[in-house]
Amino acid sequence: MATAVIMPKQGQSVETCIITKWFRNKGEKVSVGDILFSYETDKASFDLESPVEGILLDVYFGDGSEVPVLVNVAVIGKSGETTESFNPDNRNTDTAYKAPMAPEAVKAVPAIKAAEGKYSSTFLPAADNKIRISPRAKRIAHEKGLNYNNLSGSGPNGRIIARDIEKGLSGDAAITKSMQTTVPEYTEQPLSNMRKLIAKAMYTSLHNSAQLTHHMSADVRSLLEARQKIKNKLTTDKSQQDITLNDMVCWCLIKALGKFPEANSHFLEDRIKTFNKVHLGLAVDTTRGLMVPALINAGDMDLAKLSKELKSIADACKKGNINPELIQSTSATFTVSNLGNYGVEMFTPVINLPQVAILGVCTIINRPANIGNNIFGFVPYIGLSLTYDHRAIDGGPATLFLKEIKEQIEAFRY
Amino acid sequence: MPKSQNINPKVVRKSQFIEFGKIPVNQYNKTIEEEKKIYSKEDFIRIYHDMVVIREFETMLNLIKTTNEYNGIKYNHPGPAHLSIGQEASAVGMAYTLGVDDYIFGSHRSHGEILAKGLSAIHRLDEDTLYSVMKKHFEGSALKVVENGFQGNIKDLAIKFLLYGALAEIFARENGFNKGLGGSMHAFFTPFGIYPNNAIVGGSGDISVGAALYKKINRKSGIVVCNIGDASMGCGPVWEGICFATMDQYKTLWDGEYRGGLPLIFNFMNNLYGMGGQTCGETMGFDILARVGAGINPESMHAERIDGYNPLAVIDAFKRKKQILKEKRGPVLLDTLTYRISGHSPSDASSYRSKEEIEAWQKEDSIIAFGKSLVLAGIAEQNQLNNISIETKDLLNQILKLSINDDISPRINLKKDPDCIGRMMFSNESVDRMENGTPEVLLPLEENPHVKSLKNKERFYKDKEGKPVSKAKLYQFRDAIFEAVIDRFYKDPTLAAWGEENRDWGGAFAVYRGLTEALPYHRLFNSPISEGAIVGTAIGYGMCGGRVIAEIMYCDFLGRSGDEVFNQLPKWQAMSGNIIKMPVVIRVSVGSKYGAQHSQDWSSLTAHIPGLKVVFPATPYDAKGLMNSALQGTDPVIFFESQRIYDTGEMFHTDGVPQDYYEIPFGEPDIKRSGDDITILSIGATLYPVIKVADLLKEKYGLSAEVIDARSLVPFNYEPVIQSIKKTGRIILTSDASSRGSFLKEMAQTITELAFDYLDAPPVVVGSRNWITPAYEMEEYFFPQPDWILDAIHQKIMPLEGHQIKTDYSNKKSIELNKEGI
Repeated sequence: MATAVIMPKQGQSVETCIITKWFRNKGEKVSVGDILFSYETDKASFDLESPVEGILLDVYFGDGSEVPVLVNVAVIGKSGETTESFNPDNRNTDTAYKAPMAPEAVKAVPAIKAAEGKYSSTFLPAADNKIRISPRAKRIAHEKGLNYNNLSGSGPNGRIIARDIEKGLSGDAAITKSMQTTVPEYTEQPLSNMRKLIAKAMYTSLHNSAQLTHHMSADVRSLLEARQKIKNKLTTDKSQQDITLNDMVCWCLIKALGKFPEANSHFLEDRIKTFNKVHLGLAVDTTRGLMVPALINAGDMDLAKLSKELKSIADACKKGNINPELIQSTSATFTVSNLGNYGVEMFTPVINLPQVAILGVCTIINRPANIGNNIFGFVPYIGLSLTYDHRAIDGGPATLFLKEIKEQIEAFRY
Repeated sequence: MPKSQNINPKVVRKSQFIEFGKIPVNQYNKTIEEEKKIYSKEDFIRIYHDMVVIREFETMLNLIKTTNEYNGIKYNHPGPAHLSIGQEASAVGMAYTLGVDDYIFGSHRSHGEILAKGLSAIHRLDEDTLYSVMKKHFEGSALKVVENGFQGNIKDLAIKFLLYGALAEIFARENGFNKGLGGSMHAFFTPFGIYPNNAIVGGSGDISVGAALYKKINRKSGIVVCNIGDASMGCGPVWEGICFATMDQYKTLWDGEYRGGLPLIFNFMNNLYGMGGQTCGETMGFDILARVGAGINPESMHAERIDGYNPLAVIDAFKRKKQILKEKRGPVLLDTLTYRISGHSPSDASSYRSKEEIEAWQKEDSIIAFGKSLVLAGIAEQNQLNNISIETKDLLNQILKLSINDDISPRINLKKDPDCIGRMMFSNESVDRMENGTPEVLLPLEENPHVKSLKNKERFYKDKEGKPVSKAKLYQFRDAIFEAVIDRFYKDPTLAAWGEENRDWGGAFAVYRGLTEALPYHRLFNSPISEGAIVGTAIGYGMCGGRVIAEIMYCDFLGRSGDEVFNQLPKWQAMSGNIIKMPVVIRVSVGSKYGAQHSQDWSSLTAHIPGLKVVFPATPYDAKGLMNSALQGTDPVIFFESQRIYDTGEMFHTDGVPQDYYEIPFGEPDIKRSGDDITILSIGATLYPVIKVADLLKEKYGLSAEVIDARSLVPFNYEPVIQSIKKTGRIILTSDASSRGSFLKEMAQTITELAFDYLDAPPVVVGSRNWITPAYEMEEYFFPQPDWILDAIHQKIMPLEGHQIKTDYSNKKSIELNKEGI
């Protein structure tokens, strides 16, 4: 029986070796210990010595061949012996040549927690309700002017991360919300004193008076024209005073109050106190809540002065250094509340008792209108919502008063 | 394991006795009359003079330390001063026979040796050479000070220069020998053959062996004297150094003129105490230190105890021992018996020895005794001797005044240049060869079997058809290192490499296969299993001017070379005031599969130590380029290689690894894959799992990861990483190092500082667990896995839709593990 010469396995990781050189030829007689060929792995070179004595009957791989380990390289035996069965080509190549492979480890590591929904509960916002935001998200929010306070964070511990801001910016914040499997149902906070005061005043107002609201619109083309002029002046001369649309509306309102003094009154249950001067209340949003400071003797001021003073009292409220007397509801004779900036089209402002009316100023909407000769075009209209106390004023005069405001606005000239 | 030497069982199993030869103890017995035949009157006087100079110099320091005053000159020196008052005869005797080319190494107590060797060198050098040495040293800044108003000859000027340079160094002044950065325990001056003293006991024990190797391998004249204390015989590096210095192969395997022992004397300055521990009688067991030589080699290291209280006995011994070295029969062990009258340091209360003992030695004071014998023999008048003392005091008065004057001898200006010491940590030079000459090799490069086999390898991991190349045909990571190394061996004649199994075996991981055929023994040899000395000798070899690659077979063995890697290698360039270079590359192989003591990535430890350059390539292309840079430089480099990837081919550089020489600059991270959503920074072999993570992020979560391979730890350019974070906003860092104290944490912290406003989450580190490395079969629970990285991203950076957590990276878990210390 002939003996196979196999390519030894030199080390655990070796899969193939290269025959560098044969020293004996097919048909030669070889003795035990004769070097048959040299071969190398990726790490070292070796010589293969003949394991038996005999004739080198067959050689299956030549110099430079890359041979899988444990495969027959040659066969040694007696002259005339058959070698057919040793030829590696005669075997099923699929199995004979396939380098031994470690079976693919099947790892069935159980999940630590069955994640609920998309993300596990690890990422619930922390209970303290503190806003957590990554520096990157914060930077982007500031750059894009996005208020992130109401965004929910999808990062670890409810951290607002960059993708939340991106979604917030694209108006896709709903998706951001939905990424949280659970958000707290509510939070509870005691009322601040400011809140208590506002709550009481509002409740009392609606509870103790007979309020209703009329809505009307005024063509504001001339106001806008004036506004443009002011803006233009500002760009060339920074010292110019800025006068806002609200200032102009207030200016018109004061003029209208001059014609309808019954609206410039306090309803005092058994009497009505009608003022000769207009002390204009202005609703101002502050971080602490709504404040309504009064601008004393607003009716005595020219437009520039009025504008300057309104800004001054609003700023004082925002800074928190307003004179407390000015925010008493009795200090003002009439109040203006402007929600136009926020896009509100009409609303029902609540009267600051004991005043008898309040004017809500709404957003400007372009409407089709007859611009002369039955030609219709789009005209900007500002919404005006007048709430009045029916105890003090009837519907007719209230409507006329509102109409007067409208006309003052439309007739405004700067 | 050279095949040329067979170990015959018949011989080694034979019954026999070891015979120890006699070791001489205090056998010197010549009279001064006999010595007159050898020494001239001037010689005798010079010996006396040099001893007096040392005594006075140290007396001055002692007074300054204990009374803040010397001869009415006030000064406060807060730093160390380990004095050797009493040991002057040993120092002067040691230096007397040494030429300028003979190098001495020292200990923390080596002021006397520095001065003795300096005075000896001044005596030997001609005036022109002396003047040029002084003129060249730091552009003559110290010379200017001593030359001002000096009238006398150049030799006297040189003595003044020596004393000023030494004292200014001790007082940390810029005009000191090493710009004041070495100080009392590290002062040295190579132009006079004075090599570093060492504040670590026994520190010179292996470094000096490297210096002797430098002399031998580069055929330089001169010998090396390693002056260390008796107590250092208990230190590992000293034993390792002795073993390294006495290997049989020098006498059996090294060829031709390189055959023979090292030109080295281990001179134990035996003052009988190690700090307060009595070596003879308390802390050691050798009784007489010279006995140790008998245990080392058949020659007993030519060991001898000599009387270090008699300068003539020491000179006699050094003459005889130098002859042995000349005959290439070294190294030699000397037990130079002496006594330190002064304390270990000026704060020493001598609580460990009796007054009587000190007084008994004072009675035999070497200077007084030697002076008396000169007077008795009619060689000198007492007056003449007294004058030497008076002149010396006067000279030291001047030197002290110059040294403490802040205008004349300022310190280096750290106010003006706060980073100047930092810059001195590295020399940053680019040098093809450390010396000109033809490198000695055994065959032409192109005939090298490994070089030849590389010709047929595929230098990219896929062939032209895009199929992965089989391992046997693949140009691998190990081949890339080999190519850089052999290239330098054929360029730089000084380059030598050593370590365990570096020669016939071809390195434990087959990196050096083919080097044995290429290089004679003296350029590539196997070392003892002495990691301390493997690195220590490399340091000595490097500081003398040779380039060297030392190998630590497993990173886990770095601890064995702790002092050398942490305390010696990184520091000598700066501590020399940038006089010496340190072209030393330490190859460190990081293991796996072999459990707790063979699988640790300790790159962070080396990165923590200032003064080391640390690189950890992960691809063949990077490995070759970085090794070329390491071998082109003049700084110590710790070159980490992961055993996981020695057989990896180049997967990133699509042109494959170039055959030609190229360098990759240290400190530049490499973007291995571009992406927009998250940055993954990897050190070492974790690059490959990270690529898997990048694929998974893409496939499963639609996220594109930018993969950055750090390549270097020190130096490191953070800019590309910051650029990446500006884009992605997120970063996760990973390596095989245990996460606690990992260098990744340093990087994470630095990145947080540099890119805070761009970060969408804190940088997250995924390292190995803080345990022992378990067996190979459990490694997936220890080393960072792709799953872990995904888990960490999901839990700490950005939740991934539908991701199932397998590993807990929550804050709660982190706190728990830290509480438990794991």
